[in-house]
Order: sequence, then structure tokens, then C-alpha cells
Amino acid sequence: MKNVIQGVFGAVLGALYTGFGALQIVAVFTGPAVPFVPASVFWGFVLLVIGAVLLRGARNLSRGLDDGIVFVNVGILLSVAFGAIALLAAGAGALEAAIAGEAWSVADAITPAAYLAVIGAAGSSRGAEGSSGGSVQHDATHP
Amino acid sequence: MIGIRIALAGNPNVGKTTLFNALTGSRQHVGNWPGVTVEKKTGRINRNGHTIEVIDLPGTYSLTAYSADEVVARDYILEEKPDVVVQVVDATHLERNLYLTTQITELEVPVVIALNMVDEAEATGCTIDRERLSSLLEIPVVRTVGTRGEGLDDLLDAAVREAKTSPHHEHIVGYGNEIEAMIASLVGVLAADKDLGDRYPLRWLAARLLEGDENALAKVKESPVSSRVQDILSGTDLDEYEAAMADRRYDVIAAVLPQVRTAGARSMNVSEMIDRVVTDRYLGIPIFLALMWGAFELTFVVAAPFVALIEAGLAWLSAAVAGWLGPAWLASLVGDGIIGGVGSVLVFVPNIFILFLFLSFLEDTGYLARAAFIMDRLMYAIGLPGKAFIPMLIGFGCNVPGIMAARTIEGEKDRLITILVNPFISCSARLPVYILFAGAFFGAAAGAVVFFLYVLGISTAIGSAKLFRHTILPGESSPFIMEMPPYRLPTVGTSLLHTWSRGAMYVRKAGTIILAGALVVWCLASFPFGVEYGSSESLAGSLGRLLEPLVAPLGFDWKIAVALLFGLVAKEVVVGSLGVLYGTGEEGDALSTALLADPGLSAATALALMVFVLLYAPCLATIATIRKEAGSWRWAGFSVAYGLVLAWTLSLIVGRIAPFFLGGA
Ligand SMILES: Nc1nc2c(ncn2[C@@H]2O[C@H](COP(=O)(O)OP(=O)(O)OP(=O)(O)O)[C@@H](O)[C@H]2O)c(=O)[nH]1
Ligand SMILES: [Mg+2]
Repeated sequence: MKNVIQGVFGAVLGALYTGFGALQIVAVFTGPAVPFVPASVFWGFVLLVIGAVLLRGARNLSRGLDDGIVFVNVGILLSVAFGAIALLAAGAGALEAAIAGEAWSVADAITPAAYLAVIGAAGSSRGAEGSSGGSVQHDATHP
Repeated sequence: MIGIRIALAGNPNVGKTTLFNALTGSRQHVGNWPGVTVEKKTGRINRNGHTIEVIDLPGTYSLTAYSADEVVARDYILEEKPDVVVQVVDATHLERNLYLTTQITELEVPVVIALNMVDEAEATGCTIDRERLSSLLEIPVVRTVGTRGEGLDDLLDAAVREAKTSPHHEHIVGYGNEIEAMIASLVGVLAADKDLGDRYPLRWLAARLLEGDENALAKVKESPVSSRVQDILSGTDLDEYEAAMADRRYDVIAAVLPQVRTAGARSMNVSEMIDRVVTDRYLGIPIFLALMWGAFELTFVVAAPFVALIEAGLAWLSAAVAGWLGPAWLASLVGDGIIGGVGSVLVFVPNIFILFLFLSFLEDTGYLARAAFIMDRLMYAIGLPGKAFIPMLIGFGCNVPGIMAARTIEGEKDRLITILVNPFISCSARLPVYILFAGAFFGAAAGAVVFFLYVLGISTAIGSAKLFRHTILPGESSPFIMEMPPYRLPTVGTSLLHTWSRGAMYVRKAGTIILAGALVVWCLASFPFGVEYGSSESLAGSLGRLLEPLVAPLGFDWKIAVALLFGLVAKEVVVGSLGVLYGTGEEGDALSTALLADPGLSAATALALMVFVLLYAPCLATIATIRKEAGSWRWAGFSVAYGLVLAWTLSLIVGRIAPFFLGGA
């Protein structure tokens, strides 16, 4: 049951990330079309990556592969991490505007990376699972 | 006052440096990946009237050293003969760690085991019977947790006791009748050479000779008994002996472990979970790039307001100085020379600190080792081992440790290539140049321009590596073998400490080298007496005019020529020198305003200049490091020449092409 919830959550959030990521990149060429979706190749790319991780998790779960949970969890982790970066960047923007005496509006802080992370954070507080403490090393070799 | 020397040895990434720092109060570099320490470091402590010298060594898996850092560790234990070797053992990896123990005990030096990372072992439910282990190996075993400073006193007590006890006795692996007979006959022959017997334990030497150890063979080469040793060895298959002896060591370990360790339950843990995703075949590289972009965003955007604050402060200061200081020359010295030169570099302290915070995060979490793993396929295509990516990432902070980190790379040619391409990785000293010029000339696109420069640096490094591999340093790269450390959540304290100790270096540099550079440039700009400050009639002007023809095709004028020349000392000096030569005005961002106002400078020239600064000759410290690590001035000279030619050519191309994209700006 838990897997189903996680799978659906991963699929929905993954789709959102992918969609908004694509929009941010498209906006670079067409100019910003959707409110609160600024044009940015880099942020668009980041969102696509997070989306891909989440969707991969959802897909694996739907196929009955347990490692799907892992992808969804790491996707959520990335979502929260980049949300924090986006917020920090927005905060810095506000501070800079204040120092330079320029106008700044809250709208500048509302970027997809920030608001999607709120959903991600909600997911992380629910789906903290399988994370036992401790750590065991393993050797990774590559042919 | 009896002096005791304690060497800290052990596998890589087991916490040797952490213990060293805790014991001696030093702040040597610690990181969660194998190969952090590549040089021996010494510290002193006074304890109960003893002066104890502690030596931190690079990690090594065996005493048959394969890479340059391992050689450092082996040679120290062998040649310098410490009074006691403390082998730091990772309690979560007893098997691999005890393999080294079996080798160290053969050296007949007193040994103490520091059973470290016990906290992590216990967290997995694993318990280790230290007393039993100690009695089986006949070596004292002390429980330590380096990160929390636990067990230090016991460790020192045991070490001092062991150093003073003689004769000491440790369990030595027996290799079975046949091999022992061979060893005995070799010892018989070797004993004829008194000199050899004084320097090395003969049983150890004989065993190494049987294993075909190159280093041991070299040791007996000069000896009068060399030919008789050869006679014995020639009739034997050394590879077979080596394998058989390794088997025997593992047999002994396998016999010991079940008696001392009760394993805990083991399920897929967080480390493995994260690794499943971040080292994924398809997602690994995109995730890595996304993280890099995140770091980049933090370095520039988040630092920006703090930079603005410092700028405003400096502007106020230079205005105030201009008012307070009487004689015009003094006001110019302080305003133009010191504030203009050093200030223009100090402005970027926030960027530097955030960059270092990110790098320390990368190192302390353990992701660095994963990055190398992810990049292995790409690196393999160039002909370098994936491990060679680590020195590159370290190089983003500073190329000097980046080049040193190449010591962990096994093949000599691989190591040389890794060293030679490291200067193209954009170190933190080049950041101020980018931020200044990109900020002044590219406005909103500044971030993208700087990102382009970083990518250009990496591409140049990779392209050059491929070129070297196919021309001057041909060969096959070795496969990727690197241990993945478990992820560790760095504490805020250690992260800040790491960031601080490296960031402080930047500030210190500003107060020393850059200050000196700025003063020299100020003098050159002010003399001879009577000339207008910073004009082309000044000494700086004459010097610049002399160099100008060299860089004129790139669109650089004499001021830039002078800045580039002094920038050879340290790249921040480029900004410092320009700060001095353009002088500081009363406004906040005087230097960037002054640069914008210069009719000789366009966006295209600025871009060409940034490319030039990225690629041209490494700074003095880096050149010296290349010479030391590559072992000859030839390579250092080559690096300078190659960089200059490449920088000149690429800047020319960029300067010519850029106007088409920038709309002739
Ligand atoms: N949990 C835990 N972590 C530790 C302990 N000791 C060290 N560490 C961590 O282990 C990692 C490696 O520590 P270092 O001191 O750099 O290891 P080293 O043996 O010097 O490594 P090399 O120089 O690469 O050979 C760091 O992330 C430390 O914070 C310990 O007792 N417990
Ligand atoms: Mg170390």
C-alpha cells in the first residue's frame, strides 16, 4: 500500500517537475509566458533532472521493483535541496535590492524550484522510510 | 625528556588525520574520501614529561606501495623507523584493515591498534571483542572515536608503553613449511650483509623478495649478496608465492574475525540507497551537473549582496582616506595602492567562502568519490582513470592541492597528465577576474558567461589530457578501483572550520602577496617623479608598452599587459593591479565603472581577457608544485609554454568571433 502511495506521489511530482522544467527552458526562446515561471536554461535543466529521478522511481514501483522507493526518496531529497538553494538565491536577491535601493517584489522569489519543493517537503515528512542509520562501505569497481 | 615518535598508519579514509588533529591540536585536512592526505605531517605533544612526536601518514592498503602517496607512507615506516606505529583501523572494515596489520607486524616495530569508527560499527549492531583481538594478535587494541576525541589518552598510554617495552612481541603470520623454508634460506644468505641486516628486518625482507616486491629487489641490488639472492629467486615462480602468501594472511584474518566480531543485522542502508540513484548509469551525470549548477548559483547569486556591502564599505573608506590624508602622494598610496589593489580582491571574499563551503561539503559527505565514479566512463574515453577527476574537483579551490592529489593515481604517465591539465581547472583565484569583468560587461548574462568559462576550463583540461595521451605520454589507463566511503553528514562545525581555514588563506594572501603586488604596481605607476599617476609615461606605462605588442592582437592595452604580467605571481593580482592602475573613484563600484568607461575595452575584449586569464601560465605556487610533483623543471616549463600558447590562440579566436554574437558590442 505504502508503495502505491509513494509511486503515485513520485509520478505526480515527477510530472510537475518535468513540465515546469520544460516550460522554463522554452521560456528562454519564447519569453516568459506563464506567470511564476521565469526563463532559465539552468533551472529548467535542474527541474528536468529531479523530474527524471522521480519518474524513474514511479516507473520502477509500478513494475514492482522495490528500488523505486529509493529513487522517489532521493528525488524528494533533491527537490528539497534545490528548493533551499532557490530560496537562498531569492533571499539574496531581496537583500541586494535593499542595499542598492531597488524595487523588489515577492513574486521574484516564487520560482518553480521553490514552490515545487514545498510539495516535495510535504512528501518527505510522510515518506521517511527505509532509512536505517549506520553505514556500510562497499567497493565499487568499474570495468 | 625522552622523545618518542609515533607514526599514524593505516588504510585510506580510516580517520588517521582526524586522530592526528585531535591528538596534536592541528588542523590538517580531513575529508571523507580515500587519499586526502598525500604527504606526511608532523605534530608535537608534551605528555608526562615525554615529548611525543606524532606523524600523520597517507593511507595505504598494503606495504607494497603502488602510488606516490603510498610510497611516502611505506618509506616512512621502513626508513625512518618510528618508535611505535599506531595503526588506525576502521572497525567497520576489519578484514581489509587487518591485512595491513599482518604486514606491519613483520617489520618488527612496536604496533598499537587504534580501533577507530567504533561508533559506526556499533550503530550497525556490530560488536568487537577488543581484548580477544588484542590477545590473538599480541598487539594492544584501543577503542577510539576520532571525530569525538574519544580514547586519545588510552591510545597515547598504550603507545608510550609499547615504545618503551622491549623486547616486544607480536603475532606474525606463518606461511607454511615450504615458504618458510625458502624464507629461511633467503635470510641465511641476506645475513651475510651486515649493513642490510642493520637497516631492515631480514625475515621481512626475505618475504618481500619472495613476493617479487620491486622495492625490496632494489634494496638488495647493491648488496654483495645480490647474486646469491638472485640464484635462489630465479628458480621460483614469484607470482605464485605472492598469491600463496596473501592467501595465508587472509586465512589468519579469517580465523581471527569470527572469534572477535559479532556482526549486526544488515539491510540496505542510506549510503547504498543514495548510491543507487546518484551513480545510476543515466541519471548520474545529470545529477552531478545539476549539483554543480546549484553550487554555482550559490557562489554568485547568494554572495552578491555581501559583495555589494563590502564594496560600499570600501568606497566609503577610500573617500574618507582621500579627505583625511594630507599629502597627495600618501592619499594615492593608500587610496589607489592599498584600497584599490587589495580592496578590489577582498571584495570577493563572500564568493570565495561559499565556493569553499561547497567544496568542503563535497568532500565531507563522500560525494566526491561518487563524482569520480560517475565520470569514469568519460575519463576512460580520454584515456585517464576516473580517479583523475578528483584532482580536478579539488582544483576548483586551488590548483596546488589539486596537483598534489594526483599522487593517488597509480600510473606514472596518468599522474603526469593529471598534473599537467590541472592548471586549466578554474581555481578560486580566477573568480575575482570573472566576476569583475563579466559583471561589468555582461550584465544579466554574467552568470552564463562565468559558467561558460568554467566549462571551457574543464573542456580544455579534458582536451589537453586526450592530446597528451596520444602524443607525449601514450599509454593505457588503468581500470577504476576506488573505495566508496559511506556518506557522512558533515557537522556544521567541521564544514565551517574547513571553509574558514581555506577561506582565511585567501584573505591572508590578500594581505601579503597581493598587497606586495599592489604596492609594486603603485610604485611603477607613480614614478618617475612628476608624471601623471598611472599614465603611459610612468614606469608601469613603459613596461606595459614593452609588452603591449605581444598582446595587442588580442585587443589588450598596456594596462592589461602589466596586470597579466603581475598576475603570474597570483591570479588575483590581475584584479589588484587593475584596481591600482585604474585608481579608485569615490563611487562604490569604481573599478568596474572605470573599466566600462575605458574605450579600449569592449565586451568581446573582456571575454578574450577572461579566457586568457583562465588558461595562461599557472601562478608561481602552482608552477613550483608542478616542478616538485613532476620531478623536473622541464614539465613546469612545458606547462607554462603550453598554457601561454593555448591562451593566446584561444583568446584571439574568442576575441574575433565574439563580436558576431554580441552584436558588435
Ligand atoms: N563516525 C566516525 N567518523 C570518523 C571517525 N574518525 C574519522 N571519521 C571520518 O572519517 C573520514 C575520514 O577521516 P580522515 O581523518 O580524513 O581519514 P584519513 O585516514 O586521514 O584518510 P586519508 O588521508 O585519505 O588516508 C572523515 O569524514 C572523518 O570525519 C570516527 O571515529 N567515527
Ligand atoms: Mg589523512
